[in-house]
Amino acid sequence: MPQVIGAVTQTNFTNLDWAIVAVYLAGSVAIGLYVRKYIANMADYVVAGRGVRTALGVATLTGTEMGLITVMYSAEKGFKLGFSAFYIAVASGVVALLVGLSGFILCRLREMKVMTIPEYYERRFGRKTRILGGIMLVFGGVLNMGLFLKVGSMFVVGITGMEHGAALTAVMVVLLGLVLLYTVLGGMVSVVITDYVQFVVLSFGTILACILAVNYVGWQNIFDTVQSSGGKLLGYVLVEAKHSAEAVEYKGGFDPVSSLGVEYMIWMLFLGLVNCALWQTAVMRALAAESTAVVKKQFTWSSVTFLIRFLLPYFLGICAFVLVMQTPELKEYFYSSDPAGAGKDRALYALPIFLGKILPVGVIGVVTAAMLAAFMSTHDSYLLCWSSVITQDIVAPLMGERLSTKARITLTRVLILLIGGYILYWGLFYKGTEDIWDYMAVSGAIYFTGAFALLGCGLYWKRASSTGAVLALLCGFLAITGLGPVQKAVGLTALFKRIEEAHGLRMTGERTSAWIGLGTIVLTLAVMIVGSLLFPDKNPAGQTVPEGEAR
Amino acid sequence: MNFWIALWKVVFVFSLGIFAVMAVWVTVAGLGDIRKLFAAIEKSHRVKSE
Repeated sequence: MPQVIGAVTQTNFTNLDWAIVAVYLAGSVAIGLYVRKYIANMADYVVAGRGVRTALGVATLTGTEMGLITVMYSAEKGFKLGFSAFYIAVASGVVALLVGLSGFILCRLREMKVMTIPEYYERRFGRKTRILGGIMLVFGGVLNMGLFLKVGSMFVVGITGMEHGAALTAVMVVLLGLVLLYTVLGGMVSVVITDYVQFVVLSFGTILACILAVNYVGWQNIFDTVQSSGGKLLGYVLVEAKHSAEAVEYKGGFDPVSSLGVEYMIWMLFLGLVNCALWQTAVMRALAAESTAVVKKQFTWSSVTFLIRFLLPYFLGICAFVLVMQTPELKEYFYSSDPAGAGKDRALYALPIFLGKILPVGVIGVVTAAMLAAFMSTHDSYLLCWSSVITQDIVAPLMGERLSTKARITLTRVLILLIGGYILYWGLFYKGTEDIWDYMAVSGAIYFTGAFALLGCGLYWKRASSTGAVLALLCGFLAITGLGPVQKAVGLTALFKRIEEAHGLRMTGERTSAWIGLGTIVLTLAVMIVGSLLFPDKNPAGQTVPEGEAR
Repeated sequence: MNFWIALWKVVFVFSLGIFAVMAVWVTVAGLGDIRKLFAAIEKSHRVKSE
């Protein structure tokens, strides 16, 4: 056992690397303080005065979307699924490219000059829809980011070789403090600027990590090991997901049709659309753009981001798997049958432990700084996003728009602190067993299934009505049944088992999430259409509130 | 299986190459964009105060 612990905590991380990280973090906070002078109103604070051009837009979108949480859960997927996971990255990139070329949803939103999606709801469907939509957005969004802090802190613990468990809480508190300080001070202008810096460090750091990883484990060895260890690779997934009966159906770590299933592949295509055109943090980048032409260019270029943000971490996760398979102590740690010691968290530690071993002194500090940059970038964007939605789309409309600009900024800052407290609590005490990626997909679906119906129909179908919109938003709540504990509580687990036995369909694990997610989309679209046809608005032409009045 | 192995090799190398090119472009052009952003915000504040 001591050899196993020694193998896990051995790292190249030194005091020099700590110094690099410290200098970087101090620099980020200094930038946050410096750009405060540019914040004069809510538009500066939330959408950077709508003055962001293409290159900076790509940088800031990448800084947000390629967060440490993304790197961690993607590496986990690569570690578990091998190259089959590459499908998810390709689907995400292709869908983003199509959205960028067509301007689907994003350009029409930008033309309306709204600051948030719920603000669009009000302009199109009225104030009640905005408030309900804001509540759904915040509920799904805040739940979605609940595990960010913990997973990000696990990276720091893993790469620096700290004792797993004991140091985790302390790291969480320190990182949260830094993020809160920085976000509360600056708003979107500082987010945009530091996102740029983080883009530079993160991009070159990740490319360097990939090159060093290939150099360390060997290019052909990666493919040979995945091919020869396919059973082990996928067996780990099956054991964890409790689907040992499916083992014979897997063919190895390359073929996504066999590994993921068609329904999951379709679900991933839809998530690709969500990532770039429905998710508030990405949409905010479009709303901060200088013009619709910039939106298109920005998202066309960013399709590379949406591909890479999954692909490179998958690859690093696969390289980590190769190292684990060829190191007996690590193999014992990750594939131990000891139920007390084993757990889903261990797969999340694969990437940081791997990086801690392959990256040389100095480089490991830069890469850690890049990952922490991504961590801060994601957190500040999300904290700013959800808190501004609560201020702009729930509190302000409920108060009859009597809230002054100063009061709105103050409230937004207080909410950032409150949400920060929540993610610390959730990270420490939540004991769910879902895969991180599936947890995020399901929690996000509470919002985006309804949003898809409201945006798709509202922007492109004149007869879409407020009644249909409210019904569609409410139906989005059904997506929560994609979570394992909820399925168990409402008796869906037994139902899926019966369907599986009766019809031979694979209705377990992430596949049930896919079925429920796709089913919820169809349902929200159906109620949107039927509700709109049965209960049309008096003003069916679209915008019910002109620009400027829905603030 | 060989098809998938070949495909993922091409996808990885191609994506890494494109990303490297994009990273260089965004790094250079982004600096100019930052200067223009600050100038635009300052200009809008001046116009509002007048």
